[in-house]
Amino acid sequence: MNRSKDIIRHIKSLVPKDKQVRIMNVCGSHEHTIAFSGMRSLMPENLEIIPGPGCPVCVCPESDIINAIELSKRDDVILVTYGDMLRVPSVKGSIRADGKNYKMISSPFEAIEIAKDNPDKRIVFFSIGFETTTAPTAAIIEMGVPENLSILSSHRLTPTIMEILVKDTELGIDGFIAPGHVSAIVGANAWNVFSEKYRIPTVVAGFEAENLLLGIAEILKQLKEGKPATGNVYAGVVKAEGNVQAQKIMDKFFEVADVNWRGIGNIPGSGLELRVEYSKKDTKKVFGLAEVKESKIPGCICGNIILGKAYPNACKLFKKVCTPRTPKGPCMVSMEGSCNIWFKAG
Amino acid sequence: MVAVSTVTPLEQDVLLNMNKIEIGHGSGGKLTRDLIENIFLKYLKSDELKPLEDAASINLDHNHKAAVTTDSYVIRPLFFPGGNIGKLSVCGTVNDLVVSGAVPKYLTVGFIIEEGFLMKDLEEIVRSISETAESAGVKIVTGDTKVVEKNKGDGIYINTTGIGEIVKPMDLKNVSAGDKVIITGTIGDHGTAVAIAREEFNIDAAVESDCAALNGMLEPLFDIAGVKWMRDPTRGGVATVLVELSEATGLGVLISEEDMPVREDVRFIQDMLGYDPLYLANEGKAIIITSAESSDRVLEMLKGHPLGKDAALIGNITADFKGLRLKTIIGGERVLDMLEEDTLPRIC
Repeated sequence: MNRSKDIIRHIKSLVPKDKQVRIMNVCGSHEHTIAFSGMRSLMPENLEIIPGPGCPVCVCPESDIINAIELSKRDDVILVTYGDMLRVPSVKGSIRADGKNYKMISSPFEAIEIAKDNPDKRIVFFSIGFETTTAPTAAIIEMGVPENLSILSSHRLTPTIMEILVKDTELGIDGFIAPGHVSAIVGANAWNVFSEKYRIPTVVAGFEAENLLLGIAEILKQLKEGKPATGNVYAGVVKAEGNVQAQKIMDKFFEVADVNWRGIGNIPGSGLELRVEYSKKDTKKVFGLAEVKESKIPGCICGNIILGKAYPNACKLFKKVCTPRTPKGPCMVSMEGSCNIWFKAG
Repeated sequence: MVAVSTVTPLEQDVLLNMNKIEIGHGSGGKLTRDLIENIFLKYLKSDELKPLEDAASINLDHNHKAAVTTDSYVIRPLFFPGGNIGKLSVCGTVNDLVVSGAVPKYLTVGFIIEEGFLMKDLEEIVRSISETAESAGVKIVTGDTKVVEKNKGDGIYINTTGIGEIVKPMDLKNVSAGDKVIITGTIGDHGTAVAIAREEFNIDAAVESDCAALNGMLEPLFDIAGVKWMRDPTRGGVATVLVELSEATGLGVLISEEDMPVREDVRFIQDMLGYDPLYLANEGKAIIITSAESSDRVLEMLKGHPLGKDAALIGNITADFKGLRLKTIIGGERVLDMLEEDTLPRIC
């Protein structure tokens, strides 16, 4: 307790008196800690902590969800995916409410078990998320997956979206709290571009409130000294080079692609698709899936929330018709979604 | 910040049109209250019902008041670490009486059993009922049995009704700014034990439900004048009880995360599952509102009882704001509201 108080005092001494400082976190678990610890209530008024694109199911394009729902309706298919993904709404409903043959998994290895247990079915693993979930999916392909299993890849790249955001002058980001789990895979060095090219301090932090406070203090110190760098206050877990083995197998099976982000649109080089050599494992190719045009959710501003351009309570649906029980937009579904977190943290 | 958002009144109507019972209507939280206000209180209007306390106070004659309460138990699974539906059906009803300032005396028990239910399981449940009632000093005085066809029930449901003699009338009107909030032990144990017992999560941990009759520990507190109000935080947990307290009194409640007793393993598991122990069910804990002067004495007496060894002072009643607020470990503050979503349905 006292240590947190000390760091907060330190933060207050480091914040410039005369200007607004905007620090963005890009990880749902970070936002969770920030909201649930009441951290914003302790920060100086001119220091904003903005939740950014940290929620994998939130950015998953509607097209992939609709394709997943349709696939699950086929008698020869079992769709498997992570729990949160089942509840994300689309114009055609959600997988849970409107799909037919689907199973929830918490690890890609369960997808293999389901494929083995159902040799007469075609198993579609709807694999979503940032680098943290891409790595285990690559790992099961490396180990060898059953013939009847294919992968509907909806993976997204964290550094790419962060680079889009840093270029947005309207947002005016002064510093990034880099995501702890993603950093464990890609390595702290993956963020060097932000300090070197854009002069934006970027500090890897863990998930305890105290560790996040340390990260914020480190960003402020770099800003004050005018020496932006890649910092790491989570060095016990995150190495500079990251998990090289994971990076190798991700690169072996996946290639960078221009992909859609829900509520945002197409971002060049921001996603991962299976390489053409592995087309037999690529659900989109195996089933000949077509891209479905995204429909707008009336009133929903998830896209702006993901980009850090609006806080959840700026949405007119928030807490009124959009609640964790009746989510209208993707950000209200997952424990990593900013709207869901703000709803629960009060 | 750019925010563009519109929703028409018609859209709102369509979106809000919830005309069926949902699982959350049984959560003890916001939806349950909506149901009580919109349906039950619309037709059921007795003065005794109105306070919506855990037990009703009824006059027997000028000098004697009785507390009456009823509760139905639909927990899944029926057997869980630390108890079973039978033990729970006695403890829950005994606790509702004692937190109403009554000495629990008599219970009735009604069974709704599904065709095909194993006789040995029924016997195990009834044996638990007998043992728990005996150790709590209450008598089972009448009962009822109904059987429904296979697949028309879920094993067994139990209803118990309890009657006690009120010796310490508890009234929220007595609660005032400056009072202290005490919890009799660690929170979230029952919710966590049941969640693990359901085996929906692949977790191996030895957390037991706190399911226990509290009358032995709480009755001695009736003699302390400063004890003003008690409630057992079952469904909806500590947070829901304190939000209700705040709404009923118009006062604020500030609780401290640092002082909240939570078992280390419970905290770890709930972090992982994304639940907040403040909203998880307890079946052997009470929240006590006491005057500041009496709080030390209350804590001392609680700690002298095996069920109260982890008792802690967790907060204050204040007139500075309305609602429930949590002072976090790092010293931040956030508002706690009633849960809309049901974290774990059929927890009791």
